[in-house]
Amino acid sequence: MKTMGKHGLSRRLSCLIVVALLCGCGKMSSSTTLTQEPAGSDATLAESTETETAVQHTATIRKPPPVLGAVFRVEVTGTNATSYEGHLQCAACHSLRSSNPDNSKSSHLDEFHQGLRFSHGQLSCVSCHNPGDNYSSLRLADGKTIPFEESITLCAQCHGPQYRDYERGAHGGMTGYWDLKRGDRVRNHCQHCHDPHVPNYPKFYPAAAPQDRFQPSHGKEGASHDH
Amino acid sequence: MTTNPATHLPVLDNQPNSRRGFMKACGATLGLAAWATALKPLTEWAADMNVDEFLQKHYRELKPDEKQAIFRRLEADCKAEHGVDVKIADPQPNDGVQFAYALNLSICIGCRKCAEACSIENNHDRKTNNSYIRVFEMEMGGIDFEKGDATYDHPVPQPDKFYMPVQCQQCENAPCVKACPIEATWQEKDGIVVVDYNWCIGCRYCEAACPYHARRFNWEKPTIPAEEINPNQGYLSNRIRPQGVMEKCTFCLHRTREGRMPACLEACPTGARVFGNILDPQSEIRWVIENKRTFVLKEELGTKPRFYYFFDE
Amino acid sequence: MSSINTPLTGEDATKSMSTRETIHSYPRFLWKALGVATDGSWLFYGWMTLLTAIALVGANAWAVQVRDGMVLTNMSDHVSWGLYIANFTFCVGLAAGGVMMVIPAYLYDDEEMHHLVIIGEAVAIAAILMSTLSVVVDLGRPDRFWHLMPIIGKFNWPMSMLTWDIIVLNGYLVINVHIVGYLLYMQYLGKRPNPWWYVPFVFLSILWAISIHTVTAFLYCGLGGRPFWNTALLAPRFLASAFVSGPAFILIVLRAIRMTSDWKWSPRPARTLIQIIRISMAINLLMLVSELFTLFYTGSGHAASAKYLFFGSHGASGLVVWIWTAIGLNIAGTILFFTPAALRRGNLRILACVLCIAGIWIEKGMGLVIPGFIPSTLHEVVEYAPSLVEWKITAGIWAFGMLVLTILVKLIEAIHAKRLSPSNSHAL
Repeated sequence: MKTMGKHGLSRRLSCLIVVALLCGCGKMSSSTTLTQEPAGSDATLAESTETETAVQHTATIRKPPPVLGAVFRVEVTGTNATSYEGHLQCAACHSLRSSNPDNSKSSHLDEFHQGLRFSHGQLSCVSCHNPGDNYSSLRLADGKTIPFEESITLCAQCHGPQYRDYERGAHGGMTGYWDLKRGDRVRNHCQHCHDPHVPNYPKFYPAAAPQDRFQPSHGKEGASHDH
Repeated sequence: MTTNPATHLPVLDNQPNSRRGFMKACGATLGLAAWATALKPLTEWAADMNVDEFLQKHYRELKPDEKQAIFRRLEADCKAEHGVDVKIADPQPNDGVQFAYALNLSICIGCRKCAEACSIENNHDRKTNNSYIRVFEMEMGGIDFEKGDATYDHPVPQPDKFYMPVQCQQCENAPCVKACPIEATWQEKDGIVVVDYNWCIGCRYCEAACPYHARRFNWEKPTIPAEEINPNQGYLSNRIRPQGVMEKCTFCLHRTREGRMPACLEACPTGARVFGNILDPQSEIRWVIENKRTFVLKEELGTKPRFYYFFDE
Repeated sequence: MSSINTPLTGEDATKSMSTRETIHSYPRFLWKALGVATDGSWLFYGWMTLLTAIALVGANAWAVQVRDGMVLTNMSDHVSWGLYIANFTFCVGLAAGGVMMVIPAYLYDDEEMHHLVIIGEAVAIAAILMSTLSVVVDLGRPDRFWHLMPIIGKFNWPMSMLTWDIIVLNGYLVINVHIVGYLLYMQYLGKRPNPWWYVPFVFLSILWAISIHTVTAFLYCGLGGRPFWNTALLAPRFLASAFVSGPAFILIVLRAIRMTSDWKWSPRPARTLIQIIRISMAINLLMLVSELFTLFYTGSGHAASAKYLFFGSHGASGLVVWIWTAIGLNIAGTILFFTPAALRRGNLRILACVLCIAGIWIEKGMGLVIPGFIPSTLHEVVEYAPSLVEWKITAGIWAFGMLVLTILVKLIEAIHAKRLSPSNSHAL
């Protein structure tokens, strides 16, 4: 499927990736990208805190998890189909190569960001990602630039009611103290549940069903079979 | 009116020697022996019990030092039986606090994490996967439990369903409290309905009275692997219950009376659960009740639940 | 209300005893009563042995249940009451039904009924004991029974309907034990019973009999969360069916006494009882029909239990057989009672009694208590059928009740036949 030209480009980029990764290592802890943390590890408390009013203790928002959909694959060699996964600064590529604003669906992405799942209304990449900054930040609808870690503000532009509920503690998981006079609270970030590219909550198997005495286990339809 | 043959046996020598009398005495002896044999399992059962436990007073009549002695005894029992060091606390209701709970049905995904967390937190019997929370998969279009299913076992959330976790509603006008013949269950100052597991006789009238299927009975001694026992226990909440008594959700009072969230709320990944002090005008729960169109289950029964449900508009 | 309760011979009536002597000879009375109660034919011994054996099986099953937990029953958190409470409800009705001899005897001065009324009271005593035992075996912690006692325990009165039930059941037991004990003792002494000592209690027992079944109905119909029970018709229905099962049971006891003793009486008392049964059964069936009409015609969600009971729902139909059997038995029994042959002493009458007793036992127990739980308050359908342990214990309770009844009836008969009197040296 791929042309030779593309392979050549890939080879050059693969070198860049290696360099970028090496450089990136030192920056890992203070990086501003969303994907700075290895996937799978538990997010630790973020430095950024959102303090509720007039209490001794605070409600902090957990650092958002990596956006899995944003992990992209770059084919390194033409002959070997091994794909290469890496995290790197957006500008690593986007400073060299301008983006194609016509790419609004993941199916359009035939070179880079392949396999990116995207299903978020009518949005296109640049609805949120800031092309004016080599994609190293996010952009609000009014054109204002905001860093990645403030993505909640970006989400809130469209999801006002959810943001309002979130602000009032009525949306989004949390742990800690209901009584902030006595202890801290840690709150989930939007991205803990909603991948910005595929924000619908994913389906998964629930915890085990109750096993009450004599209760037919597969819903009401099968009631007669278990007796 | 009936007379017990046993009390008359010793005076047998009063009687004229008669064969019939002798036969009767033999019959009575045989009968007594048979009764003793039939009831023998009772002695095996009583072997586990002690006099202190038998004579223990109602929780609300215990003096502070008596309570402490009981808590230490229960801790020692747990150590002896499971080899686990547990701490039995007895947090009291906080002044100016009335608990309330709200649940957002629009964002509950039916993952049963709350039920699972409840089971672990509250030292529930593992064999039955017991929990104070039942999550119903409901059909869109109404709150119709007739079409609900609590035993679903497929990926959630299903597109045409919504999910409704039901647990104790901590009713202000609680039918279970009214029903209990011996005040073994009562409402505390902060609105939580508790059970004195050492006072309950296990008649299960409260279970019949509860309109929300919130109460559970210990049909047998609960089994929990020692390593899974939650050692932070409350006397009126999550301590390991004895056989033959009722139990129920206490909004995790051993946590919430110390300001912490209930276990089910912490487990909820979506934040469908909102908990707090309804007397605090700044609280999240108050905001929900004032700003969302909340409803309570079976409002027509006049139970005045402290558990609210709502949908996002 | 100075009617004479027992026929007195001139000789006995002239005897006079001081109150002191009367009290002092009471232990002797009990001692002799024990002798009479344990004396009898081989048939009697066989019957008593059989009952004792069944009671022993029940006692053993109960002891095991206490040790291993109620997990041995087939009850669950969904159906949290089962056979025990079903049987309890029936036995309370049986006890209340005993009053159906008292009313004609005392309110309508039915002279002949007067001689037999004590048998109705004996049935009431046995039935109350059976209902109390049915509750005791239903307790998860019978060792904490003392918590139920006023003063030393914590008695949630007047809030809890169960405390009312405890009061009325124990009160009814005490009243009947007093009446039966007093009348028997006086008859034993050959003295005329002092109406002041028992007539007020007889009237109290009439009110009390109605109250025990009303309160037992309130136990269920006061629960707003159980629409199947939450009906004002429940107490009247309970009473109507009790006034069938009680007299029907007494008719069987009367027949047993006639067959095993020389005690004779005219057919009138039994006919009065049959009239009572006819009317009560008609009222009972009428109320059942109006209950079903409201449930099914309006078609509200309240009919869910009734739908399950009569036709099954959600693929579960465990009670359908029970309830239709009950309806069949009740209708057959009623038809038999309405035939003229029922007024004659014959097997048909006994058959009618048995059919009605069995029918009402199912209707009030498996047909009323169990469907209140199915579907559950959150509309889950979890079925229930009693376990072997439950059957054993319930059989044991009945055997115990019948033991008590047999002894009481034997005493009543012996005193009536003057085989038990101060002058008679009969003893062990």
